[in-house]
Amino acid sequence: MPAGRFRIITLCVWALAAGVTAAGAQTATATLAADVQPLGKLTLSATSLTFPDADPDLVPQVPAAGGPLTITAKGRAHWGTVITLTVQADDDLRSGVTVIPASTLSWTASGTGFVDGTLNRTTAAVVASWSSPGVHGGTQQWSFANSWLQPAGTYTLTLLYTLTAP
Amino acid sequence: MKKAVWSAIVAVAVLIVAAPASAQNTDTKTVNVTVNVSARAKLTLSASTLTFADADPDTTPSIAAGAINVDAKVRTSPGGASSLTVLADDDLTSGTDTIAISNLTWTASGGGYAAGTMDATTAQTLGSFSGPGNHSGAQTYALANSWSYATGSYTATITYTLTAP
Repeated sequence: MPAGRFRIITLCVWALAAGVTAAGAQTATATLAADVQPLGKLTLSATSLTFPDADPDLVPQVPAAGGPLTITAKGRAHWGTVITLTVQADDDLRSGVTVIPASTLSWTASGTGFVDGTLNRTTAAVVASWSSPGVHGGTQQWSFANSWLQPAGTYTLTLLYTLTAP
Repeated sequence: MKKAVWSAIVAVAVLIVAAPASAQNTDTKTVNVTVNVSARAKLTLSASTLTFADADPDTTPSIAAGAINVDAKVRTSPGGASSLTVLADDDLTSGTDTIAISNLTWTASGGGYAAGTMDATTAQTLGSFSGPGNHSGAQTYALANSWSYATGSYTATITYTLTAP
């Protein structure tokens, strides 16, 4: 529930209770219940990543143009549970019928709770996990494993980031 | 007293209505990824000079030079053809004396590589490859030796061209 809404409700209850006490010199109590549900909110600094062409001998790992992806994960969860952020590819890298495995994409991470990893198209890979609620920030520098064996083409896939606050 | 109780009931009711029964606990975002892999060719030779030592034509009718290792790295479309050719700039020349460049031949090893005879007008195919990758091979030159050659120190330049369309 938004904080502003909570304040309005609190004031209403206080006003009603105070009015009764003044008029009849009686007291009454009202129990306030603040319902705080698990909540996850994810923000990424970019909606696209591009890897430029490069000589595999000179640049065996091609970093994504534009630098690291900045991630802000806001999570509220029950105590004792773990908030997780995962990423999964919708498919391998494809250029027409030509395929490069999604696992040629990997990342290094910075920030508390963030870990390095390799992309997978069948299993969600953990980007970060936290055991406490709050606002968690970090970066993810993606790179592409460059090789002479890869046929020429423009390859695409889509990453799905999922933040879960159980 | 009744009014106070009703006030409390109303307040709690307001809270219950205001609070969502179940808040969203997952959030997802998508990122589109593009990887550019351009056509590319890169040729590496293990030596930039070849020397054929003088020899008796009767005992050494063909003078061998050391093997040149060739790395032909190409990025093509899947199954795309690439080729490696050699072309001499001229016959072997020593002042005004010449030895026909066709006396220079080679044998080759490695997938896609073929033996051949040097030419100064038409590029000769050293390798034909299919698809991207590092197509490695070796080329060993031999110069046909002959009593008819005028003495001298002969030179020629060979140009290697790797083409990945």
